[in-house]
Amino acid sequence: MIRLFISKISNNLDTPLLSTIVVLVLIGVTVLASATQENFYLLGNQFFNIIIGVLALYFFANLQPRRILFYAPYFYVICLILLLLVSIIGIESHGAKRWIDLGLINFQPSELMKISLPLFIGSIYHYYQNNISIKAHTLSLIAILIPFLIILKQPDLGTAIMVGASGFIIIFLAGLHWKVISSSIFLFLLSVPFIWNTLYDYQQNRILSLLDPTKDPFGSGYHSIQSIIAIGSGGFFGKGWGNSSQSNLNFLPETTTDFIFSVFAEEFGFIGIVLIFLLYSFIFYRCFTLASRMQNTFSKLVAASLSFSLFVATFINIGMISGILPIVGIPLPFISYGGTSMVVSMASIGIIIGLYSNKSLIAN
Amino acid sequence: MDKILFKYCFQTRLRIIFILIIIVFFILLIKIFYLQVIEHNHYKTLSNKNSIKVIPLPPNRGIIFDRNNKILADNKLSFTLELNRKHKINFDTLAYRFKDIIEITDRDIKNYRERISKYYFFDSSPIKFNLTSIQIAKFISQKYKYPEFIIKQGFVRNYPLGKSSAHLIGYINRINISDIKNLKKNGLFSNYKGSTHIGKSGIEKYYEKKIHGISGYKKIEVDANQNLIRTIQTVPAISGENIYLTIDSRLQKIAEKEFNNRKGALVAIDPNNGEILAYVSQPTFDPSLFTNGISQENWLKLNNKVNRPLLDRVISGAYPPGSTLKPFVGLAALHNNVRVPPFSIIDPGFYTMSNGSKTFKDWKKGGHGNVDLIKAIAVSCDTFFYGLGVELGIPNINNTLDIFGFGKKTLIDIGNEKKGLLADKEWKKNKLGKNWYQGETAITAIGQGYTLVTPIQLAYATAKIANEKIDNTPHLRLNSNNNINKLKDDQSISTGIINSFSKKNIDLIKLGMQRVTETEGTAAFLGKTSKYKIAAKTGTAQVFGLKKDEVYDEKKLPDHLKDHALFIAYAPAENPKLAIAIIVENGGHGGSTAGPIAKKVFDTYLDKNYD
Repeated sequence: MIRLFISKISNNLDTPLLSTIVVLVLIGVTVLASATQENFYLLGNQFFNIIIGVLALYFFANLQPRRILFYAPYFYVICLILLLLVSIIGIESHGAKRWIDLGLINFQPSELMKISLPLFIGSIYHYYQNNISIKAHTLSLIAILIPFLIILKQPDLGTAIMVGASGFIIIFLAGLHWKVISSSIFLFLLSVPFIWNTLYDYQQNRILSLLDPTKDPFGSGYHSIQSIIAIGSGGFFGKGWGNSSQSNLNFLPETTTDFIFSVFAEEFGFIGIVLIFLLYSFIFYRCFTLASRMQNTFSKLVAASLSFSLFVATFINIGMISGILPIVGIPLPFISYGGTSMVVSMASIGIIIGLYSNKSLIAN
Repeated sequence: MDKILFKYCFQTRLRIIFILIIIVFFILLIKIFYLQVIEHNHYKTLSNKNSIKVIPLPPNRGIIFDRNNKILADNKLSFTLELNRKHKINFDTLAYRFKDIIEITDRDIKNYRERISKYYFFDSSPIKFNLTSIQIAKFISQKYKYPEFIIKQGFVRNYPLGKSSAHLIGYINRINISDIKNLKKNGLFSNYKGSTHIGKSGIEKYYEKKIHGISGYKKIEVDANQNLIRTIQTVPAISGENIYLTIDSRLQKIAEKEFNNRKGALVAIDPNNGEILAYVSQPTFDPSLFTNGISQENWLKLNNKVNRPLLDRVISGAYPPGSTLKPFVGLAALHNNVRVPPFSIIDPGFYTMSNGSKTFKDWKKGGHGNVDLIKAIAVSCDTFFYGLGVELGIPNINNTLDIFGFGKKTLIDIGNEKKGLLADKEWKKNKLGKNWYQGETAITAIGQGYTLVTPIQLAYATAKIANEKIDNTPHLRLNSNNNINKLKDDQSISTGIINSFSKKNIDLIKLGMQRVTETEGTAAFLGKTSKYKIAAKTGTAQVFGLKKDEVYDEKKLPDHLKDHALFIAYAPAENPKLAIAIIVENGGHGGSTAGPIAKKVFDTYLDKNYD
């Protein structure tokens, strides 16, 4: 019975991908132990988050793609309603309304949108799979813009960009004509000044401080400067586990969530960074391979989009802590402390694995 | 687009995206490589700076002792109330808010403001000093209410003798901007990072380098809120050296008391080794007024134009020597064979220049009768010296005075020493643009003229007469020897009285000085009551020039125009143990005013039961 269960799991689950993720999660816990200075309460929490994440992974990996396809539009609509609710009854924190209080945990609907939007767009293209036309593209665009604008208004630039990216990548993969793409990019560049004006002051400051963080070392540039100091002081081999002075002495903000990678960089140095990059690269490579091996339009698009989403989160997080991108609160997948990020990342992988291992279960 | 086209398109574009991902990762990796490997040292420094703070530990100042191990300056534990300068302070409500704990007066606030404008402070600066334990207890119990206040514990300089010996010991003051400039110029600033005070005068200043000590430091790790996490390393400060002075503070006190509020100076020096036993400058001041930044009010008081209490008269007071110069001028005459014994004159009470151009009066109407050199010193015969001077000439007089150390610094180990003045033709031409008159040579010989001496020069010259073998410059630090050999090279000080003058001539001068305290001498009254023989010379120096035929009448003159009384002496005459020079400003006649002071000091010092 147990053997059967295990063989069922291992049949369904992709071993190379999962073992890489296990390594990343373990690294994450290790760094977290240092960043929290072995705070067992936080570590315990994170173990709980990981267990929930694994359960989510297992659940989605065994979910029939047919069902996913069927429920995708409902899921999308529910997420939209939750998003609107947030702006009415949401909890305000750090000047932004992002959370809904569910009693036990605070819950961030915009995170759910990271999954439900690709599923919904995927289902749109699946519906039009025999004739992917401008109509499908337009519908998708509308489906993207509604949650994108709501999240942007929360305001949560980081998540808005991620949600937008996960949607737009599907339109791109679905074969939107290069001419349309290039002219859209051109139009976007033209509208940059307008978009700049719609940004909140703190968002503008973050982008400005990126250009010269030393201009406002105790204001918006502080996080960036301290993070760069942490990374740079790590050197080639790092200071060793538990020796991040930037984190231990509280110079780094948010060391458990957004800035956990700075702590890692300070303690494990460039060697550690290269290892992390290799692990992430392998995850994306593996996910893309799975996506390309899938047979139907829905699976391919959803798998590619979800893995691209994970990449965008990774890129934004590492880019912001190393001073290439402005500070936007995006956690590092599989490593940062926090339930939502962990569960969403695990669920994404679960969906990809599920779509792959049950590829025959969906009718073309 | 149909399904087959879609699959092809999807595959191509997925590949493009993956290549993009690799490129993006590569860019991130390059950026991180730049930070971690190429710029590593820079960020390592920044990270250390972030977390490691170096707190200087100031050394305790060395203690100053007199020759009998009596404390002249030490450090006393004291608590000060300080204002944290990081807080915004509302001075209007400050006193009211704090009224139940410690009274803060308007004057405290005024002084505080003056202090922070003039001196150098770190993150807090004092407003109230010498807190009592009750005040401290009150404050600590309600500390949370007053975040802008801090109580600091530290050592304060303490001068047990108070006003006594203030010029000698000197004072310290808070470090100000110009001190910092000086310290930086001399590369000493790093040693003063934690220090609040610096020696400003006297021994405190001259031996500042030794007394200050070597600063230590504590390396601590702090968090982003500057809270202490742990101490990494402690290098303790090395306390300053204790300084032992040649001074005998008992002698010093007796001398000060004898001055009885008159202005002037006294130097007592051991003619055998140059050690200074008493160093008195009157009036004096309270050195502790300076320790916490002197207030404007006190500063103005101390800069009183008439009394000038801050002036160290021993080394910075330049006085006309009056007749105390006669023994030295007499020796010059003997040395240059101008007055070879038994040469004598009949003194009519005046001297007329050989060309008849001018007549100079003797201090005694009617003259002293038959006078030889010895008697001329004993009775201080002006007439004898007028002629002697004119015949000797200024160059010869100045040569001898130079050998005795007049007109140049004695290089005593204390700052601000004046050179005094030996005037000659050239000096007068350059300084006043006038020619030298023969008559000026005559009055130079009796110590009037332009000649100016400091009490330390007079004392040292007297010690040289008393013991021609003396080979030490006058000094205040015990066993310092004042590097006499080094000084010889650097300053070409002529230490050898013995090389320049014959013993026979010096003995003649000594005999003259002994006669001063004998029957017909100007200080005969001193000899009458003395158990030991005193060799001395009295002097009276005019502060203000009388017009022709005007008669000096002590009673009619205001105090500050009265003559200065001078007195030099050594005793016992046969075996000198102490040489003294005294100046009592506006004290009138030297023998009667300054003589008794010297007698008291000798009596004390030579008393067999003294030690």
